[in-house]
Amino acid sequence: MKQFVIIGNSAAGIAAAESIRQNDKSSKITIISDEGYAAYCRCLISYYLAGEVSEENVVYRPESFYKENNIELLLNKKALSVDADKNRVTLADKSQIGYDALLIATGASPKFPQGIKGLKNKGVFGLRSLKDAKDISGLLPTVSDSACVLGGGLVGLKAGYALNKRGLKVKVIVKSSQVLSQMLDACAAGLIQSKLEENGIEIVMGADAAQILGDNQVKGIKLDSGKEIACSLVIVGKGVSPNIDIGKEAKLKCAEGILTDNHLQSSVSGIYAAGDVCENIDVSIGKTAVNALWPVAVEQGRIAGANMTGKACLYDGSVGMNSIEFFGLPVISLGVYEIKNDAASLEKLEMFDEKRGIYKKLILKEGVIIGAIMAGDIRNSGLFLSLIRGKVNVAVLKDKLLLENFSYPHIAGMTKEKEQMYV
Amino acid sequence: MKNLYYVFKKCVGCKTCELSCALAHSQSGELSEALKEIKLSLPRTTVFAATGENYPVSCRHCKEQKCVSACMAKALTRDAATGMVLHDENRCVGCWMCVMVCPYAAIRPNRKIKLPLRCDRCKDKDQPACVKACPTRAILWEEEPEPKK
Repeated sequence: MKQFVIIGNSAAGIAAAESIRQNDKSSKITIISDEGYAAYCRCLISYYLAGEVSEENVVYRPESFYKENNIELLLNKKALSVDADKNRVTLADKSQIGYDALLIATGASPKFPQGIKGLKNKGVFGLRSLKDAKDISGLLPTVSDSACVLGGGLVGLKAGYALNKRGLKVKVIVKSSQVLSQMLDACAAGLIQSKLEENGIEIVMGADAAQILGDNQVKGIKLDSGKEIACSLVIVGKGVSPNIDIGKEAKLKCAEGILTDNHLQSSVSGIYAAGDVCENIDVSIGKTAVNALWPVAVEQGRIAGANMTGKACLYDGSVGMNSIEFFGLPVISLGVYEIKNDAASLEKLEMFDEKRGIYKKLILKEGVIIGAIMAGDIRNSGLFLSLIRGKVNVAVLKDKLLLENFSYPHIAGMTKEKEQMYV
Repeated sequence: MKNLYYVFKKCVGCKTCELSCALAHSQSGELSEALKEIKLSLPRTTVFAATGENYPVSCRHCKEQKCVSACMAKALTRDAATGMVLHDENRCVGCWMCVMVCPYAAIRPNRKIKLPLRCDRCKDKDQPACVKACPTRAILWEEEPEPKK
């Protein structure tokens, strides 16, 4: 009987546990979590904060799941270090757990920029955990009706949206010249920005917070321009960084995340990584990257789990992707979303129907799609993702790709999909 | 497990399958009434014309279940007994992750009610409505072939 240890109880950790149990009915599985809940849908916490999803529907796996699958769940326990020579994990309470195979699925943490004074004030939050969402929610009745969000990325905008839904006046402070600069080009970002502004969310562009005002409790923020904005709640959405400390300390090779091979094993045999902490090949850019995304975490967890049991499952990399919708405008971004000045070999196909609020763009490299943005009409996103993943040469389809009636039959047989549809 | 297959050579693109699908999933089941329903029932299968032929597209209930993995709200699950991918409307938040990853583009967003449209094989009935309705018998409701080795 083997002992499997998983550090992290979210998408990747759960998928790995399920995958291990599918392949091995009897061995011991232990999941270590520094949070206080059974697995929940992390991506839903902004919906929960907005009041759009009940706490019941945030549950991803109920407590009964662990019992039914004979998984030991250790809550509120922090894994401090891994002794790779002795195959042992040490927890903050000094207890130790031995393992035959270990998965590090420790996720990521919000970045709190060092340069800003006052980040320790009461009323400053990240939005990463259910606890964050509950703490913010609990504070709402006691604070004034205005909030500032630092950062115009996905978390920042989702936080802004949620607080707007809860009736607060929200200002989003964005350093760059557009929102969502990590997933959209200026055109698609402009559509989103208009939608947010139409619905009462103010975007302050090209500004950064220099200081959080207030002695103990947040009273406002001071921008780098010197301008002050009064508010009693600040959400910091300045991106996340992978929780690699435990891997680094165990001398696993790390870049931004823990580097893994095509079995999702780290540089040390028997230790695997998956999810937001894992770095592996990104198919669209052809280099390693951390794609901190729910679907990627689930897939990596499943494959890492199978490999931990001794099966040899290959992982063929991920594609950066995101789907968002604000106030009825859906936008999906896949892979490379922008042609930088230096990339003369890339080709762009696009259409923009301002009246209907539809913008679609594809980026091709030597006839192969490496990225896409779909705004206002997202119907064919899955086809483009499949073409990106399969590195399919679409030169013969170029004039059809962005047409309204482009559909699966146009690419049937060209991608790796196995399901039969036609006879 | 039975699945829907399309004899595309027989498909004339009349879209009777789309209409019968929308009707089968409407509240009333009657065309004249269904058209007045607030949550207008939309087809979960779509017929496309490509390369001079007509091709219906519908959810395959794939074994790879990319949509189930991608569903961040646990609204999509795979039923172990039937092999079907089920959708819980109560849990769905309309994030369109399933739309983003479906390699057949067989999951389509119903943006008005923020729910994905996908074939549920008329799970409560003896056979899918489209199979009965197809005037050219282009839709087969058959056991899945054994996986190729």
